[in-house]
Amino acid sequence: PQSICCSRRKSPRQLTTQPNHTMRPILLKGHERSITAVKYNYDGDLIFTASKDHTPSMWRAESGERIGTFNGHKGTIWDLDVDRFSTRLLTASADASVNLWNCETGDILHSFTHHGPARGVAWSDGCEMFATINDPFVDHNAQISVYDAPIGADSFSDLPRLEIDLPKQSDGKVVKPTNITWLNLNEALFVTFDNGAIRLYDPFNGEELEEFFPHEKKINRVSFNRDKTLFITSSADFTAKLYDVVDLHHLKTYKTDRPVNDAVISETKDHILIGGGQDAMSVTTTSGKVGKFETRFFHLVYEEEFGSVKGHFGPINALAVDPNGLSYASGAEDGYVRLHFFDKSYLDMKDPVPEDLQEGEEESKQ
Amino acid sequence: MSQTVEPSLEDESASLDGYFSDAPLVLKPNYPPLRETFDTAVVITNLPKAPAAKVEKLSKVVGRLVSKIGALAESDSFPGFQLPVDPETGGTLGFAFVEYQSMDAAVQAVKSLHGYSLDKNHTLNAFPYERAMHLAKLEQEEFKEPKPTPFKEKPDTSKWLLDPSQRDQFVIRHANETVVNWSDGKNVPVVDYDGSREKEAGVSWCKYYVQWSPHGSYLATMVPEKGVILWGGEKYEKVSRFPAPGVDIVVFSPCENFLMTNNNNPKDPEAIKVFSIQSGEFLRAFPLFPKGFVSEDLSPQEKAQVRPPIFQWSHDDKYLARMGKDIISVYDTQTMKLLDSRSLIASGIQEFQFSPTANILAYWSPESSNSPAHVDIIELPSRNKLRQKNLFNVTKCSMVWHNEGTYLAVKVTRHTKSKKTLFNNLELFRFKEPGIPIEMLEIKDAVMALAWEPRGDRFAMIHAENPSSTKVNVSFYGMKKTVVTPAKGKKKQESTVVNELHLIETLSGKQCNCIFWSPAGQNIILASLGDSASGALEFYDLNAKALVMKEHYRSNQVLWDPSGRTVVSVVSQPIHGGHFKFSMDNGYILWNFQGKLLHQQSFETFYQFQWRPRHSLLSEEERSKVIKNLKKYEREFDRADKELALKLQLQATKAKRSLRTDFREKIFRLKELKRQQKEARIALMNGYDSDDEQNYVTKEVNIETILSSKEEVV
Repeated sequence: PQSICCSRRKSPRQLTTQPNHTMRPILLKGHERSITAVKYNYDGDLIFTASKDHTPSMWRAESGERIGTFNGHKGTIWDLDVDRFSTRLLTASADASVNLWNCETGDILHSFTHHGPARGVAWSDGCEMFATINDPFVDHNAQISVYDAPIGADSFSDLPRLEIDLPKQSDGKVVKPTNITWLNLNEALFVTFDNGAIRLYDPFNGEELEEFFPHEKKINRVSFNRDKTLFITSSADFTAKLYDVVDLHHLKTYKTDRPVNDAVISETKDHILIGGGQDAMSVTTTSGKVGKFETRFFHLVYEEEFGSVKGHFGPINALAVDPNGLSYASGAEDGYVRLHFFDKSYLDMKDPVPEDLQEGEEESKQ
Repeated sequence: MSQTVEPSLEDESASLDGYFSDAPLVLKPNYPPLRETFDTAVVITNLPKAPAAKVEKLSKVVGRLVSKIGALAESDSFPGFQLPVDPETGGTLGFAFVEYQSMDAAVQAVKSLHGYSLDKNHTLNAFPYERAMHLAKLEQEEFKEPKPTPFKEKPDTSKWLLDPSQRDQFVIRHANETVVNWSDGKNVPVVDYDGSREKEAGVSWCKYYVQWSPHGSYLATMVPEKGVILWGGEKYEKVSRFPAPGVDIVVFSPCENFLMTNNNNPKDPEAIKVFSIQSGEFLRAFPLFPKGFVSEDLSPQEKAQVRPPIFQWSHDDKYLARMGKDIISVYDTQTMKLLDSRSLIASGIQEFQFSPTANILAYWSPESSNSPAHVDIIELPSRNKLRQKNLFNVTKCSMVWHNEGTYLAVKVTRHTKSKKTLFNNLELFRFKEPGIPIEMLEIKDAVMALAWEPRGDRFAMIHAENPSSTKVNVSFYGMKKTVVTPAKGKKKQESTVVNELHLIETLSGKQCNCIFWSPAGQNIILASLGDSASGALEFYDLNAKALVMKEHYRSNQVLWDPSGRTVVSVVSQPIHGGHFKFSMDNGYILWNFQGKLLHQQSFETFYQFQWRPRHSLLSEEERSKVIKNLKKYEREFDRADKELALKLQLQATKAKRSLRTDFREKIFRLKELKRQQKEARIALMNGYDSDDEQNYVTKEVNIETILSSKEEVV
């Protein structure tokens, strides 16, 4: 009978359409505590996650399958960075150490001890060096350290090649560094602080090159585009700001109504992804519905919010977008990493302003 | 032992007897004490000038009048008052001297005789003697006509109503900003005035609350230390100022003739002040509580809890009324004195309400020893009782007028004999019917809120079995019913409207605690407002039975614009009191009447949102003409809307395009720089070019998955 034929024909067609269209996000359940960092590798096939439990994890970006964990730390992992070829991983931990791991085997190549909880870590261009930041601890000031880690070496020196002390400010306030990155061609170390400042240091002699204040409150996170020509800061003052790296000019501001914990620049579209939400401290006093724990999508140029993705029930701490533009991952205070694949309608989305002049637009210009 | 005996006192006095005397040594005549002031003397002027024949009669009249007040300083030679006469004609000169025994009596005489009308033509003037002497000594200057102050045109306060695109206005207060916005009900609000002139002068336009007048002509800003300033006209110019230190509340009379300020200070005898808006004149002050309103028997804590009764204006600005103990004090606004010099007796009164369209007021009093509780309808100024309804076993009543004065609903909370359980019923008064018929609606549930449909004959109410339950019912009742008589033989089908109360609909299991009718009727919002509530907003169209559910978390206000096109939900905080818990959610959301979100705005501190009221400038005829030609106007409006939308879109596109061009140039320059660094980068990577696609090997892999297989017999 015809009706059966029809239904038979229908069902396979439904299944063969773009699976992403109605695809649900993959929940990466592997951590027992809040997520602190989520990163894609250069090629976009691996995802690295760090959490307040002590084991960073490595996942396959395509399927969300966990490849393995890196066991050895005894404290919260605050940050991680993987090198250009995804062979060596660096993790910064609150146990006052930065570990260098072999990605493939999960073995510790070396553990670099610090004077305080390590907050951030970053590979240099070329991946022969890396820089770390650590919090002040007892008598020790906060520090920026630069270590050598030549490619192919089996033994590493525990002594940094450069150490920059960050003493108390003249007004007695302790300013803590929150992020560190190398600028293009290792020209400078780029460090953000919890008083809203960004400073540039010379990575070889430790000299302070520049200081400016994009925000008045803590800068939670900073992220760069792949070219390292633009960067975006996320701050507790409810905004994210886009700067260009060369002139350090402020370009755009993206306003939200909750603290921003992380913001990333899409590589393939003119979009910004922003995550955050009510700070973890006051989350218990509000219902999940109004905590605004969504990933918000803003247009890079027009600063307009055009969409959001719900799902987390705690503030989003970390965001990462696939360099190939197929997916993005968000990690939150709730301990989950959600891996979202963009649907067809998103991938096909065009800029709201057509490339060609619209009818009537020229008339009004005259 | 000593033998000497001291003389006793008695002996001593006896020996001195006759030596001292109580009588004065020098005899003095018994003069009355000399008075050096004229404190007890009063001069009365403007008495009739009586001819000689009638002097005696007049002096009798005056004597009676002045002696009523206090004892006169009478003596054998002087009767206590004197009417000087003209020595030639023997007639009185039209004034009198009066002397009292006490100063108090003299003061009282001045008070009560000054302004006393003896007859039609003679209103007396009374002065203390000293004052009269002072007046007599005054030199008379030649009267110079004062120059009129140059006429300054007042700003046209209704100009905003002539807006070509018929937009509404609203004012917001956040941080130190006060902004008046235009809202067209479709697009993002546009700023009309934000106090920029004041900012340039280095001051803030308003630091406290603001208030629109009922017709929207003025915006009042409050300066707590000083008073109230009114602003009006196209450019929001300063219209007038009213000094009222400590002002906390400002109230306009419905026709914008008067302005009332209140500083909520129970110790200030002039806590409430009334001004005339046109002249700027101060008219009268009142204390916060009428005399005897707060019973002396209460403890200080209980006293602090007594709320001051509020003044109410009649719809036409003619009367101003306030409840007192067992009375309603009605003031005639012409004179600012009690209407007919006496209050309206209303023993036991708990609450009264003026009708919004007539000089009728309704009040209720609870049961007292020998009379049941009752609701009275009183007409002013005649004080006729139009209707009285007696009620039994009453705990509380609350009254709600229909905004056109057609109906009055009285919610009666009654108790059973045991006084343990409460139940409600509604008494519904129809004012447009002869005799004001009353209908009773028995409701088993507790009624939490009731609201009449503006411009309609329906009302909505929230009720539930248990007033503290989260799920409640919302019922709609109609006061008029259309009855259709079916066609019968030659008679055609007829429909007639009869006055019959009937249930239209009940929505059950709702989560709401407030209801807000659109000013145009038909649409209603069921809202759950307040601290612990969900902030749910349900937009319901009673005619189309369409329900739209929205939410504005923590919202504490829902306000319709005067036209009923747009409605706003607000999360605001009091200016004093630091309610930081709202700071995350502070702001407002504009919705259209169907529940579509139009605009959302957040502020760190948000204090106030107020729509500018509209006053119709059209006569009833013009109005019906407009309604008749609605189709024509609709087409015009549609066209204008489309044009505006297109214009806005083009503007936005243009702005965005230029933004994009700028940004692309920037990116291009950055890319260029990057390209120049390519060599150095490759060198850093030991000769590896990350951008080279040839580093990647492309493999094609086919993966086949059998989803399901099925065998079918053909």
